[in-house]
Amino acid sequence: MRFRASIKDVNTFSKLAASLSSLGHVAWVRLTNDDVRFTIIPEQGTQVWAVLSIDNLFEEYTIQSAAENNTINLEAPLAPLQRALKSALSSISTSIRLTKKDNIPLLSLTITTTSSYTPAPAIPPRGTSSATQSQARPSDSTTFFDDDNAAGTSFDLSSHHRPPRDTLITQDIPVRVLTASSVAGLHEPRCREPDVHILLPPLLQLKAVSDRFTKLADAAKSSSASALSSSGGTTSTTFARRRGGGGGGGGASTQAAGLSSNNQRGPRLEMLANMHGGLRLSLRTDALRIASEWSELANPDLDPAAVEGAEEGVARHPSTVMRGRVPDAEGEEGWARVRIDGRDWGRVLSVGRLGGRVIACFCHELALILYVYLESEQEGGEDSVLTYYVQSYSA
Amino acid sequence: MPVLKFALTADAAGQVHNILTCLGKFSDSVFIEGRHDRLVLSALNPSRSGYASFTLDKSSFFSDYEFASHRGRVDGRFTCQIYNKALSSVFKSRLADTRGGDTALERCEITVEEEPYKVTCRFIVKLICRHGVTKTYKLTYESIEVMQALFNKSAAHNVFQISAKMLKEYSDYFAPKAEQLDMYAENGRVTFTSFTEKIMDGKEILKQPLHTAVSVDVKDFEEYRAEEKAHIIISVKDFKAIVAHAESLGVALRAQYSHPNRPLQFSYTRGGMKCEFTLMTTGSSQDSAAPRLTEAVEWRADTRSRSAPSTRSESRSTEMPRSLQNQPIASRNTLRQRGLGSVTRATPHNSDPEADSLFVPLAEDDWRWEPLEEQEPEGDTLGWDASEEQVSHPRYTVL
Repeated sequence: MRFRASIKDVNTFSKLAASLSSLGHVAWVRLTNDDVRFTIIPEQGTQVWAVLSIDNLFEEYTIQSAAENNTINLEAPLAPLQRALKSALSSISTSIRLTKKDNIPLLSLTITTTSSYTPAPAIPPRGTSSATQSQARPSDSTTFFDDDNAAGTSFDLSSHHRPPRDTLITQDIPVRVLTASSVAGLHEPRCREPDVHILLPPLLQLKAVSDRFTKLADAAKSSSASALSSSGGTTSTTFARRRGGGGGGGGASTQAAGLSSNNQRGPRLEMLANMHGGLRLSLRTDALRIASEWSELANPDLDPAAVEGAEEGVARHPSTVMRGRVPDAEGEEGWARVRIDGRDWGRVLSVGRLGGRVIACFCHELALILYVYLESEQEGGEDSVLTYYVQSYSA
Repeated sequence: MPVLKFALTADAAGQVHNILTCLGKFSDSVFIEGRHDRLVLSALNPSRSGYASFTLDKSSFFSDYEFASHRGRVDGRFTCQIYNKALSSVFKSRLADTRGGDTALERCEITVEEEPYKVTCRFIVKLICRHGVTKTYKLTYESIEVMQALFNKSAAHNVFQISAKMLKEYSDYFAPKAEQLDMYAENGRVTFTSFTEKIMDGKEILKQPLHTAVSVDVKDFEEYRAEEKAHIIISVKDFKAIVAHAESLGVALRAQYSHPNRPLQFSYTRGGMKCEFTLMTTGSSQDSAAPRLTEAVEWRADTRSRSAPSTRSESRSTEMPRSLQNQPIASRNTLRQRGLGSVTRATPHNSDPEADSLFVPLAEDDWRWEPLEEQEPEGDTLGWDASEEQVSHPRYTVL
């Protein structure tokens, strides 16, 4: 089993590892002759199935395995991978290989950098006055510190003209090699045809709004929770009233129960989209309702070649049906809706740093699937696709 | 009458904050030692494998410094211990920052009152700020004897000096949870390896922190003359604390050591401040009993002639615990069991478990250790010191 490659685009690889590591600790990495796949299946939350073309990340890619299609399956921790790649960001060259040390399989990165350091006349960034003092009274400082280390105040000028020298960094990431049978049971989730597909606005923008909503939901929750705990019995009626009047103590107790279960999950956000370029993100809590809406987004056309039943299939496709409906203002008719976990969604959106085009597919009340397309630098090269499966919660 | 009274400029107060931050990485409490010509802030870590000291010069660091030789102290020292967090909360990081508002610090005055027969010992910090604002902090301290690690520079024939900025760059590559740092030289390259000794299997293996090796050309050092093919292992945490402080001053860090399993000293000097860190090392060399000096790499970028190493503290440091001398060369596999410098085997002379660590209490001044082992190089010793003046009678009274 051999794997060795030189990393062509450390920046992209590092950003990819960073955005994946927010969703899970460990990734299933599948290396083959054709592509590199990263899969994250957390116990809870969003699954990621990423397929990257080899030439997006690597050059001089060598792989050799007894398995079919030279497949190597690994389980790799993402945080160390990200950290290792981070140390390669200013490198001249970086290579990666699968190796073994003390019987532990490792992904080993070999990074060559030139030292960025050019010795400057030593002026401390802080505390200059004490230094000035010592210079002002050289006799004191020299008589007191008469020993060998005067490096702080004197620098050999010749060091300015040193030629750059290479520094070699090796970062060893422990991995587990997975057998073909242990990954045989892992399948990409299947989902019915989506009701709405829409090109998302820039993820940074969407993330800023989503994170704000999540924070507001937390704030609303913690303020009502603190009101509940701080003033005891009297608040129970306030709560009941806020919930629309009625049962006094009874209403409060259900609310309190709701709060405690809320603490275990992030706040729920509602995402709605239609086939007329509309996207709406909204938050409802007991205290507030807030929504942001985007319009005139693109709803890409389906490629008949990729749809079962070709032209006819496109005509019968749920999204075509949806396109025929006029979306109402309430977000009911003509809209597909999902309820997502605000915190998990924020982590999903961190993929925005990779800067690809993102198409969101809404399966009404079921799931939200994001396709993140990273274009290959090379003309005619294969695109890389990251697929995020976000589950919709019931109301 | 105060036993100690000194004043700091705003910048020097900022430096004190940086010092306390660094000392805080070693221990919760900071030792303070006042003498007629200098003030020493130091800390010793709980496992006694690392000792940090900052010597502040009376005239070049302080804007005013008065020390009243105390009646009870024949050796003319004042020593105490203060909880680091209490002291560093007074010297906040933005103290010297003039942008910090109208009440930026102008001057800091510290007086230490010592009245052995009264109940409290007081450490009073007065921050004199702009617009006539004065903040006064009264802290209590514990009057204790302060220990210092002795380090024999003349025996420490391995020396290297490198800019702290470069070391900072290297240490940034290390995993945050890595525990140990191995320094090793071969073929004109020095390799800094951070690793963690943990035996893990199965799924746990993925939780093992990164193993990082940074290999540097010896010519990137300002000076390098040290034995090749020797592993010198210290704690990453200590290393990071030292490098962070040295980097903030923009200085070069000098390391001196004799052999693996012997103490190593990092030192640097800046603006009336002498910073020294003595760390216990583990590791192994090819032939540690008889180092082949012919194999030593020598490199020195700085052509300026240097003064001879200070002999001040070496004169009396001729004793060390025997068990330390006899320390078997630890292989990398036994490091974990051994712990970094946490030598707990009793010496043949003393059942005190702490006696054979880096430090011994002052009261054991006249304690004589067995002569050194024959194969050990002469004069390479580790000892302790509490005062620079040779005194033969008891030097302090415990309050």
